[in-house]
Amino acid sequence: MPTGMNRRELIKTFGAMTLGSAALQLTAGEPDAPLFFSKPDFALLDTVTEMIIPADDHSPGAHAAGAAAYIDTSVARSIDPDEKKNWTKGLALINSLSQQMNQAPFNNATPEQRIAVLKSMATNERHPTTEQERFWGQLKETTAFVYYTTSIGIHQDINYKGNVILEQFVGYEAT
Amino acid sequence: MLLQIPLTNNTDVDLNTVYDAVIVGSGAAGGMAAHVLTSHGLKVLLLEAGKYQDTGKILHSLEWPYDNPYRGKMPPSYHALTLNEYTIRNPPYAQNSPYKKVTSYVQGWGGADYSKTLVVDEKKNPYSGTDYAWVRARVVGGKTTIWGRLALRLSDFDFKAASRDGYGMDWPISYADLSPYYDRVDRYLGVSGHPEGLPQMPDGIYQRPIKLTDAEMHMRNTLKGMDRTLTPYRAGVTTDGLKHNKYRSRCYGRGACDRHVGGCDIHAAFDSPTGLIRPAMDTGHLTMRTNSTVYEVSIDKNTGKADGVNFLDSDSRQSYKAKAKVVLLAASTLESARLMLLSKSEKYPNGIGNSSGLVGHHFCEHIMGPSVNGFWKDLVGKPRTLDDGRPGGFYIPRFRNLDSKHRDFIRGYGFEGGSGTTMVPATAFDEPGFGEEYKRNVRDYAGAVFSYGAFGEVLPRYENAVGIDPQLKDAWGIPVLKFDYRFGDNEKKMAQDMYDTGREMFQAAGFEITSSTKNMLCEGWSIHEMGTSRMGNDPKTSVLNQFEQSHDVKNLFVVDGSAFVNASAQNPTWTIMALCWRSCDYLADQLQKGEI
Repeated sequence: MPTGMNRRELIKTFGAMTLGSAALQLTAGEPDAPLFFSKPDFALLDTVTEMIIPADDHSPGAHAAGAAAYIDTSVARSIDPDEKKNWTKGLALINSLSQQMNQAPFNNATPEQRIAVLKSMATNERHPTTEQERFWGQLKETTAFVYYTTSIGIHQDINYKGNVILEQFVGYEAT
Repeated sequence: MLLQIPLTNNTDVDLNTVYDAVIVGSGAAGGMAAHVLTSHGLKVLLLEAGKYQDTGKILHSLEWPYDNPYRGKMPPSYHALTLNEYTIRNPPYAQNSPYKKVTSYVQGWGGADYSKTLVVDEKKNPYSGTDYAWVRARVVGGKTTIWGRLALRLSDFDFKAASRDGYGMDWPISYADLSPYYDRVDRYLGVSGHPEGLPQMPDGIYQRPIKLTDAEMHMRNTLKGMDRTLTPYRAGVTTDGLKHNKYRSRCYGRGACDRHVGGCDIHAAFDSPTGLIRPAMDTGHLTMRTNSTVYEVSIDKNTGKADGVNFLDSDSRQSYKAKAKVVLLAASTLESARLMLLSKSEKYPNGIGNSSGLVGHHFCEHIMGPSVNGFWKDLVGKPRTLDDGRPGGFYIPRFRNLDSKHRDFIRGYGFEGGSGTTMVPATAFDEPGFGEEYKRNVRDYAGAVFSYGAFGEVLPRYENAVGIDPQLKDAWGIPVLKFDYRFGDNEKKMAQDMYDTGREMFQAAGFEITSSTKNMLCEGWSIHEMGTSRMGNDPKTSVLNQFEQSHDVKNLFVVDGSAFVNASAQNPTWTIMALCWRSCDYLADQLQKGEI
């Protein structure tokens, strides 16, 4: 990544790349065959990660950053049986909570109903006690890690200036 | 022009020769010993249990996380021990693990893919006893390949601490004895800093200092009114370059050292292989054998002196002997103690150099854990600035128990911290909620964050000790260490004060606090082990003399953190090297005079 590139230039570059490359679009869409999750679970994961970090006026969201696909790949690669179980169970919890609150699975609920489910899970974010609340921590932390380590997260959203070669340090001299 | 020539993993070395000195371990202490002794013209053999790894090739400092298959994390077959694992279970921690390799906690940090081969496999290197997060790097350079780079001096507040508060024992040296050697280390290796004139943390000879962010300047100015100091990180990093060392470049502010677990592929940050070992090899007096796991100091039964060391080839496990006139242990505070205790004989039934019975005792380090995180609202939503292009943030030196006495505890602590935007913003994990508001907050607050955590002196208690486990052995069949080490009341009270003053300074600066804790992390977390063979004038109450020479065995020296009498609040690496330089000057002089 050339340095000093501003946001507008980045969007131009990314736009051109997307137009010219079907492969790039694939990484930002849902794969036909998830490696670990069932297709409905993958769709659910894609929906909730995008709800955690949605596209807005400033930058694309978790869906465009391929968050669900990355999580799918890394859970598939994991050799920790607990990790696999946690994810499957956690997604099932979202659906059962939605069923309880909205009488519908999460992806069939209205946008408002979906938000209500996530709000309920996120109630005690700093001090989770229930299984749902703990899974929320795992889901959100993973989504944040994946999103903010993509090019979209680092360059377009955060507009990070570092990781460049500097002749002089930037900032203030201690006086 | 930076010379990036890899060292070789040479095991075909001459073991018939009697070397002037054999050094066990190639980290900060072993590298320094090699440098000083070869500069005196001595013929030196350096033994390292690990292999040479080209950190210049494996670090990929400018690689973006999205270009790395695991975003910089370790591959899925690796596992880093967590705080829970260290504190819920007792060591050994990695038994029956399904993972291919289990590492210490440091690998849980971002960018750990770099250092996954530098730290040891806990499965092959077990230990027992009380909880302890023991981080070890068996590789040429030891932990200097991953160190945090804070290069601080101790003062007479540390060397003469016992005289000030009555606890423990004074060092047999004072700052005046060590000051010229700190100067030499500064000049030879390069250190970045800003002079402050503080008696508790003396200034060094500094290269170009790190600059501060807006919020750090604001805190610096606030603390002036509280008789405390926020100073730019005193980094063991050459920021102006070193004319005498062609293996190291000056720092280019890429910020890689804070994104990864230490490490510098252009070697601006000091590491032993490029800072000390390569130049020592260029003298023609140094031979290095990697893959050499030393298990015993061998003795001449007639004289009672050491005559070399016995070691296994780490791969073939074949046993060898290296012969030398002088033996220097630089295997790390804990591994050197283990070696001394393992070196039992008729003459030394409690282990070599252990007539005092004190080897392994007075083991000390730093407590960590109490910390404060928050932000400065003046910076929220401001245009993005470049904040992390530097080899460290800031340091707030000790301010407790200097001119006045605290009613609850003795000794002191300092804070390490940073602020501003990082590549992956801290706010991504701290901001509550989800959706557009969360995303906007992560972005708007990323540049406003400010945080620090304290490092405090753990008292050197006799009862805090390591010994040899009577049953458990490592993958090479060598008996392992058993820990009997716990934090005490002084540390707990100090942690409370760290929390209180940490919050107090945020409030004074007008910074908002988002989270703070007074909880101590697991024993060992600081990776600052010290004091298992303390130095002193009396052979009954100390293991080594002021030149890190065994009271019992004149040709045995222990030149790593073992010799520390107490831990100080300041990070130990620079002091380990200054002490080692002083000891090796003495050693060379004594050897030439025929006194050893």
